[in-house]
Amino acid sequence: MKKALAIILSIVTVLTCVTVLASCGDNGKNPSDTTASGATEADGTTEGTAAESDLAYVKGKGKLVVGITDFAPMDYKEKDSDEWIGFDADMAKAFAKSLGVEVEFVEIVWDNKLADLNGKNIDCVWNGMTLTEDVKAKMETSKPYCTNAQVIVVPADKAEQYATAEACKELSFAVENGSAGKDMAVENGFKYTEVTAQSDAVAEVASGTSDAAIIDLLMAGAMVGEGTGFAKLTYTAKLNSEDYGVGFRKGSDLAAALNDFFAASLADGSMEKVATQYGVQESLIK
Amino acid sequence: MFANFVEQFPTVFNALNLGFIQTLKLFFVTLVGAIPLGLVISFGSMSRFKPLSALVKTIVWIVRGSPLMIQILIIYYFPGLMLEKNIWGTGEGGRFIACSAAFIVNYACYFSEIYRGGIQGVPKGQQEAGQVLGLTKSETFFKVTLLQMIKRIVPPMSNEIITLVKDTSLSRIIALQEIIWAGAAFMKSSHGISGEMWPLFFTAVYYLVFNGVLTVLFGRLEKKLDYFKV
Repeated sequence: MKKALAIILSIVTVLTCVTVLASCGDNGKNPSDTTASGATEADGTTEGTAAESDLAYVKGKGKLVVGITDFAPMDYKEKDSDEWIGFDADMAKAFAKSLGVEVEFVEIVWDNKLADLNGKNIDCVWNGMTLTEDVKAKMETSKPYCTNAQVIVVPADKAEQYATAEACKELSFAVENGSAGKDMAVENGFKYTEVTAQSDAVAEVASGTSDAAIIDLLMAGAMVGEGTGFAKLTYTAKLNSEDYGVGFRKGSDLAAALNDFFAASLADGSMEKVATQYGVQESLIK
Repeated sequence: MFANFVEQFPTVFNALNLGFIQTLKLFFVTLVGAIPLGLVISFGSMSRFKPLSALVKTIVWIVRGSPLMIQILIIYYFPGLMLEKNIWGTGEGGRFIACSAAFIVNYACYFSEIYRGGIQGVPKGQQEAGQVLGLTKSETFFKVTLLQMIKRIVPPMSNEIITLVKDTSLSRIIALQEIIWAGAAFMKSSHGISGEMWPLFFTAVYYLVFNGVLTVLFGRLEKKLDYFKV
């Protein structure tokens, strides 16, 4: 009796494993088969991931999945609304429309963006992403479309004292793990602690656990100062100037398609109109 | 400051409620999956058929021995990155399914050990008595052992289940929008509120209240099972 039960259980375990593997295999095969054959017709080049046309893949499933974080004024939701808006969100909608596909916004964990992208959980990272060397090496990026800077966030009552990067040398900084702000901390030789999000870095300053933080200018504008939850903080020195771009899977032909779309939107003035709507027209790269 | 709080509270409350629904969904789905799966696993690890029990024990070792956070990441990202096919689908739904799978397997392994303790804690003499009375092994299990086992495992199970309520917050590692995610979003900017940390602190109230309810329920269950004076 017991033995029979044991054998049945073994069979069930093995069968489950086999079914799971088989279904993975199946699912894995079919779509890549179709994309592969589609790609060979679309373009003759066969080279790693570039062999499969990402454009054909997105058009095939009829949906562009955009990886974002809640980041005003690029991607955010207004109070009592469930729709993603913002400069990036609106441009992503327009881009998807130009491709004739639907758009789906998915909130991601910023640290995992590369895994989400390569694992095809999302098709692009379109969220005010700074084009660092690292990003450019690992993603197929669009041309820069916005300029940004990294700024130092300090308590407002100490702003005068810490107006320049030089004056901040002795402070202990909080920076987002893997962010452009962290690169700036390294470059300037600051002492820093890495936290999981830019908002955490700001919270460190607010709670006094760090003296200062380095975050995006656009974000600092929305997050600290009068009328925000961090009214007692402000931002001072700009440490650099940098560019925002959209990231796709390495080798993806969607980047070229987006560059064409950006060029067309700049030419007909629609991009500037959206930028003005969200107050980022000054940063727009024309 | 307080005026701010009063003004923000309805928006935050709404967002946290939505997040807590995700937390509860994950909690109940995990229980429904892990409670029976744990029993199957415990039979596997107690099996006298050595290859099976060795296999099951290895799985339990791996699952209990590695962090749940890593398991969630592996389950969610491995198929897409290594097998080149994202089996979970995009969007919130896919994340939820992947999280459920990770939680069910993880908690089933913990439950299986609690079950094993409960089953093996029933004196062997009772099984022998069952045999003498001409009961089959499965009859002995269902009519003699099972209820006593349930009584024995209630305290350790309530421990695990309360831990599960809080562990659901690990799912934010793959951006499942449970209550901690919803609370933390206000630190940055969400629903027109930015730079507020109190919503994140406030999420603890939800956990406390829900775990309070669970504690009361488990207390009652224990009382109900009190008629077994072993």
